[in-house]
Amino acid sequence: MTAAALFQSILASLPEIVVVTGACILLILGQLVRKGQQHFLVWASVAVVLIAALGTLMLAGEVRPAYSGMFVADRFAVFFKVVFYLVTVLTFLLSRKYAEIEGIGSSEYFVLLLLALSGMMIMASATDLLSIYVGLELTVLCTYVLTGFLRQQQRSNEAALKYVILGGVSTGIFLYGVSLIYGLTGTTQLDRMAAAVTGDPLDPGLLLAVVFIVAGLVFKVGAVPFHMWVPDVYEGAPTTITAFMSVGPKAAGFAVILRVFLNPLVAASNVWIIVAVIAAVTMALGSFVALVQDNFKRLLAYSSIAHAGFAMFGVAAGGADGVASVMLYLLIYAFMNLGIFGIVIMMRNGDFSGEVIENYAGFAKSHRGLALLMLLYLFSLAGIPPTAGFFAKFYVLVALVERGFVMLAVIAVLLSAVAAYFYIRIVMVIYMREPEGAFDPALTPALRATLAFTAAGTIGIGLFPAWFLKLAQHAAIGG
Amino acid sequence: MAVPLLSLIVFTPAVGAAALMFIRNDDAVRWIALAVTILDFALCIAMLGGFDTSTHEMQFTETHPWVPALGITYTLGVDGISALFVFLTALLGWICVLASWVAIDRKVKEFMVSLLAMQALMLGVFCALDLFLFYVFWEAMLIPMYVIIGVWGGDGRVYAAFKFFLYTLAGSLMFLIGVIVLYLHGGETFDIRTLMAHDLPFQVQSWLFFAFLIAFAVKVPMVPVHTWLPDAHVQAPTAGSIILAAVLLKMGAYGFLRFSLPMLPEATVHYSTLMLVLSAVAIVYGGLLALAQDDLKKLVAYSSISHMGLVTLGIFTLNLRGLEGGILQMFNHGVTTGALFLSVGLIYERTHTRSIADYGGLMKAAPVYTAFLALFALSSMALPGTNSFVGELLVLSGAFAANLAVGAAAVLGALLGAAYLLGMYRKVALGPASIGMRFKIRDVNAREMAAILPLAVFVLWIGLYPKPFLEIIDASVKHLLAQVQGKGGAQ
Repeated sequence: MTAAALFQSILASLPEIVVVTGACILLILGQLVRKGQQHFLVWASVAVVLIAALGTLMLAGEVRPAYSGMFVADRFAVFFKVVFYLVTVLTFLLSRKYAEIEGIGSSEYFVLLLLALSGMMIMASATDLLSIYVGLELTVLCTYVLTGFLRQQQRSNEAALKYVILGGVSTGIFLYGVSLIYGLTGTTQLDRMAAAVTGDPLDPGLLLAVVFIVAGLVFKVGAVPFHMWVPDVYEGAPTTITAFMSVGPKAAGFAVILRVFLNPLVAASNVWIIVAVIAAVTMALGSFVALVQDNFKRLLAYSSIAHAGFAMFGVAAGGADGVASVMLYLLIYAFMNLGIFGIVIMMRNGDFSGEVIENYAGFAKSHRGLALLMLLYLFSLAGIPPTAGFFAKFYVLVALVERGFVMLAVIAVLLSAVAAYFYIRIVMVIYMREPEGAFDPALTPALRATLAFTAAGTIGIGLFPAWFLKLAQHAAIGG
Repeated sequence: MAVPLLSLIVFTPAVGAAALMFIRNDDAVRWIALAVTILDFALCIAMLGGFDTSTHEMQFTETHPWVPALGITYTLGVDGISALFVFLTALLGWICVLASWVAIDRKVKEFMVSLLAMQALMLGVFCALDLFLFYVFWEAMLIPMYVIIGVWGGDGRVYAAFKFFLYTLAGSLMFLIGVIVLYLHGGETFDIRTLMAHDLPFQVQSWLFFAFLIAFAVKVPMVPVHTWLPDAHVQAPTAGSIILAAVLLKMGAYGFLRFSLPMLPEATVHYSTLMLVLSAVAIVYGGLLALAQDDLKKLVAYSSISHMGLVTLGIFTLNLRGLEGGILQMFNHGVTTGALFLSVGLIYERTHTRSIADYGGLMKAAPVYTAFLALFALSSMALPGTNSFVGELLVLSGAFAANLAVGAAAVLGALLGAAYLLGMYRKVALGPASIGMRFKIRDVNAREMAAILPLAVFVLWIGLYPKPFLEIIDASVKHLLAQVQGKGGAQ
């Protein structure tokens, strides 16, 4: 590698370098910060992410391949990275008070989040199965630790352990698929794979490899049949981490899935049938099981499975619109899901866990504004216009019907009618029941800002989707 | 046209709703809601004043790009048919505010906000000329209506709200798929006028016809997807029942008129017999169920099913008299059933019972009230001189021209209507006063009079001189018929 090429590579990966360096510096600084000064860490972490975001946007002008084709900074990656920055910054803001209440506000917490962010960024940019693997592992290793961060709580430890074991297995499956691909094609680079195959793309060995890779990736987005870890991990992890995982690493998983499936080799192997089945089953399972949940975090876990299923439909549709629809879906999902998690996080105060849905009874009576926000997020998650959640679903459906998958679209809407039930059930609890006790949400300025921002996104994208749609479409073509 | 009149009409209640959120005093909330709805009504009168009845073209149109990448625009406009329902919605807006003046005594602000939001969305549905925009208005209505039924309703409100929500949602989602298919087959546009001019293959039309049928049939509601209606009507607060009966049910029929007939003419003609039979079933079945009810609201609710059957019957006769009668009957049903629910609400506020068996001899205690009740009951059973007579006569003559058996069923429905309405009136108003009704019944006061009198005026006005109302819709109906026969008749 010449010096010029190296320079270009470093330039292309500058945002990742910024985040990793920032994380390392914070790790050291964190030891020097005195007790009671932890809010410094929050703002320093936010600053690191903002600098990286600035770098990403300044470099967004052109496509920059780097590291001999293992990495690329293109518009597709930029779109996802912006989503990740958004998610991470909002998670920092949500964490500030929550970490204090739960006693987990040490510097490692923020450092691990930053490292997970860098892993996600690598996933979005990776164009080689091995660099994908590096990004994937960096992300999940950080989230393993973060899941178990509530050291005193048994269920947090249990969740982390489950996550590590199941995650390890899925990684193994993924790597096995990669090794098969390498054996058959002699390369792990996505671009070269297609060119290396001269024969029938439906070679059973190749198909097997693709299935293994799909299985490994599907685990990361929590789709059926590799969804079992999701409810336990989401319930056991600190709520801020659950919020983060439900949007950040999930979006990163979809970034990889899209990159891999955009690949002509994979596309030729009729993998969409597998994806369509996974999508339908995932959505059905998420929607139906969520119906009977009493725990808010578990319900949101199943809801996130259902949403992963819906986004999967976009992957199954494929094509420029299909890819753009998944990207837009993930962006919108980040807004509304972080919003509803923001409320759950805020409710964790004193003896109130904020996790039992019944405990929210009559919430609207004493906190009109917050209840209205909940209503907004929940109807958006249910996909009722004029919220953004509707437009996200609408665009996926357009992509499906456009490709002739009308039956899939019908399945998708029927299942989303099922899913609507458990969202509006929460609305019922907060609006139509009498309160049993007083509520004392831990409402800090940072939380207020987060809620205002997510609400603005949820309603704003719903009313004026044109600009965001164009953004997603441009980025999708760039990929 | 420089002034975006329709946008003003649609968004005045929305702005009002937003403004109400910052007001703390309940009385101020009520007065502002009333002022907003009256202002909206005035705007609507202004719109009708400038309305040209000689053309079927869309009037007062406004177009702005919304999501250009998908061909979605913000387009509003009215023809004769939609103008009539914009008027009906605006009229009932302030009547609903008056009807809930004292009936809603908790969370007044939230109620009025929901009511005004509902108003804006309903007006939007009738004005939208872009399919996507239409769908957004159509579906967004679920949110305020769910809250209105679920928060301020009766004892079984939660169940009723869920049932209403899920039924309508499931129906609408099929419609959504239909909309997307239509969009892709119709040249990637959501513009309703362009789509009307577009010819679709019969196969596609058939599929779309049934996708639309599911959504509209739930809303109308047609038998067998009517079961949400009695629950929702009975549990909803008075204003909610009025909105449901007077406007929401019209949207299903309006959907047939706006989409199924002009966009899918061949399928409409092909399946019109099926629709006629379904309508006839609804007429008779709804009437029989109404006959057996003891709950006043349930009786009116089932009578609604019967009467809406008459509306769909008129529409699918696909002849001029049937269509005009059906559309006029939609308006009439809005006025009459709205008034009946209002009447039931008024008496319920006094007695806290809706069971017919508890009533008797009400005429002595509240003569003015019972006079109104008599008028609306007579109107509902289409006595000559009242509004429904005109509509029903037109529908029946259209029905007999289209299909003798179906016409006979419609007549049977009218007979049943006379039976249950007169029976109800006899038990409630005549005879000896029942124990509970002897002393405490107060007659209609000024505020209630202001709500109920306009409806009575419309009952008699349309009954005696329907010409202005028929004139509004005439050109549009003729054009619609030409669209159906031009394409659908040619097969």
